[in-house]
Amino acid sequence: MTSHPMDERNLDVGNDVVLEIEDFSVDYGWGDSAVRAVNNVSLSVRRSKVLGIAGESGSGKSTLVYAATRLLRSPGVIAGGNARLTFDDPASGDAKRRTVDLLAASMSELRSIRWSQVSIVLQSALNALNPVLRIGHEFDEVLRTHRRDMTKLQRRQRAAELLQLVGLNEDRLARFPHELSGGQRQRIMIALALALDPQLVIMDEPTTALDVVTQREIVNELAQLRARFGFSMIFITHDLSLLVELADDIAVMYAGNVVEWAPASDLYNTPRHPYTLGLLNSSPPLSGERRELVGIAGSPPDLSQPLSGCSFHARCPFALARCASDVPQLRVLDDSGRKVACWLHESPATVPAALARRTRPVVAEAPASETSTEVGT
Amino acid sequence: MSDVLLEARHLSRHFIVRTGNGLIRPKKVVRAVDDVSLSLHARRVTAVVGESGSGKSVLARMLARIVTPTSGELALEGVTIAAHASRTLAYTSAVQLVLQDPFASINPVHRIRHSLERPLAIHGTPHSDIAARASAALSRVSLEPPERYLDRYPHELSGGQLQRVSIARALCVNPKVLLADEPISMLDVSVRLGVLNLLRGLCDDEQLAVLYITHDIASARYIADETIVMYAGQVVEHSEGTTLIDAPSHPYTQLLIASVPDPSDPLRQAPEIEDRTGQGLFPAEGCRFAPRCPHAMEVCRTSAPPLFEVASGHESRCWLHQDAVKVAINGRGQGGTTSTT
Repeated sequence: MTSHPMDERNLDVGNDVVLEIEDFSVDYGWGDSAVRAVNNVSLSVRRSKVLGIAGESGSGKSTLVYAATRLLRSPGVIAGGNARLTFDDPASGDAKRRTVDLLAASMSELRSIRWSQVSIVLQSALNALNPVLRIGHEFDEVLRTHRRDMTKLQRRQRAAELLQLVGLNEDRLARFPHELSGGQRQRIMIALALALDPQLVIMDEPTTALDVVTQREIVNELAQLRARFGFSMIFITHDLSLLVELADDIAVMYAGNVVEWAPASDLYNTPRHPYTLGLLNSSPPLSGERRELVGIAGSPPDLSQPLSGCSFHARCPFALARCASDVPQLRVLDDSGRKVACWLHESPATVPAALARRTRPVVAEAPASETSTEVGT
Repeated sequence: MSDVLLEARHLSRHFIVRTGNGLIRPKKVVRAVDDVSLSLHARRVTAVVGESGSGKSVLARMLARIVTPTSGELALEGVTIAAHASRTLAYTSAVQLVLQDPFASINPVHRIRHSLERPLAIHGTPHSDIAARASAALSRVSLEPPERYLDRYPHELSGGQLQRVSIARALCVNPKVLLADEPISMLDVSVRLGVLNLLRGLCDDEQLAVLYITHDIASARYIADETIVMYAGQVVEHSEGTTLIDAPSHPYTQLLIASVPDPSDPLRQAPEIEDRTGQGLFPAEGCRFAPRCPHAMEVCRTSAPPLFEVASGHESRCWLHQDAVKVAINGRGQGGTTSTT
């Protein structure tokens, strides 16, 4: 069995990990014209936890997740790495966990895993739902494919039950997508994603197209559903403050690299990477004194041009000489296990005060606080 | 108070839609914008905040005179313009609109130079001045040196740079009023502040009146001198400065603020999920927010509230602020936990 791609083994990472991505790289295009969109990324999603991936457009956050779950289409090419999914195998009893190498799995193996173990909610529900099919048809199709023993009546009952879970009336099953509001369509997508009780739900900017009130309702609903069913989640967004509320761990991506990984509250209160700090300072606050903020100078790099050194050095206010030539690796920073890819943290002497705080300042700091006497970790 | 440049008086825009799919389809009126009055002043940013469908974009398009109002009138520097009068070049050079999506609003098959020079030619700029004014417009939006950008194609620029080009295109005919319809919502988080600071700077340094339309109430708080909240086509709250964000008096504004993710405030309660399963059209009579309002009273369902003055320069369209009914106006984000009926 060991030569079989779906071999079962006891992973040294323990039974706690649902999705393990290791040294993962993705290119768009082949040969000389290849553009590296994801560069040597390692991440893991723990059981019943939420991994948040934050980054701007082009940072590779969606590409990473699509490639790891084999959803990426040509010209996207997986250039290297591993992705393994571990889940409770219903066929081999409750206690047994099975690990599948996603990159080696055949199409039929993927087909059995997709949606039943890993499901996805896309940004635009209007594009994700077939406009000429009634909502009920979408549910029917999922259940008919994966639950062959269900009768038509059972499928219909299960669909109604799923709609109730997300706060919709079952009469929506007879509607077409265009008859529903954006928030309702996104709820339908969430209900569909939960239809087969998956281990892992991927949320790719599920609330970006919605207004804040609807976003708040959906986020609250997701929290309740997760408490009830205990699925793991990957939540991809560019909205860091939303992620801080929702996620257990957050990975911040920039130009295809993970530049910082930390538990959500640590990342928010005590950012260690200049880009994370810049992102946090880019959203105007809703309270406190009004003052001018600067955000991050410049614009994200063009990945089709060769980059040297740290991908963020051109926009970094603290850049050192070596940042332009040497590529920093993601490494463990302190006892808490948080990681950062930044040369500033190589020596305590080079850590700016803004990146060395132990607690969040009560009032967001003014740039003048650089003179603070705090010393790095 | 500075000079009024553009004034909207009782602007309304109703759309007629046909419902159902039978042979006889009843007409239904959608009141996209209903009796909105506002004035834009030189050196002031007026922010309009609302969710999708609140009518804020239709309002901007009426102010730019792309959409004809059903009723109401506009006044540019004191000169009244009737609702159905045709748009003139003089008006379009005084009032310019910047749209949400820079990738869609700049012609992809022409160089940046073309996008900037075309409006100048249309507005009758002497041929010898056109090139200089196009470069000057790019400098005004901090795209320097201009020669680096003039001969590029839109796909060669990033979203933030393109939005600056879009603002430069609006500026090159020397408008007095700049209408910005969600100018930052399509941009990356890290470049949004740059565009906001640019708008603020243009307003302060070049005496422009800026209308800033957004669904992001925090960005309105960052930039605005005057704030308006719209719901279902109506102005529901209006205040000088950002008073209505710091001390919201309308239940909708309170809901809007409570919904914004703000991890710095851990004590804040997330608003309750309301049942919107039966949500459809806004009610024909009474307050339009009543079906979603936690404080809705009998009067709210029967008659529509006017704007009540809750403090000097702060108005709220809510019966709670009628003199007879006093409620504690809660601070931000508390969503109003007490109600007296």
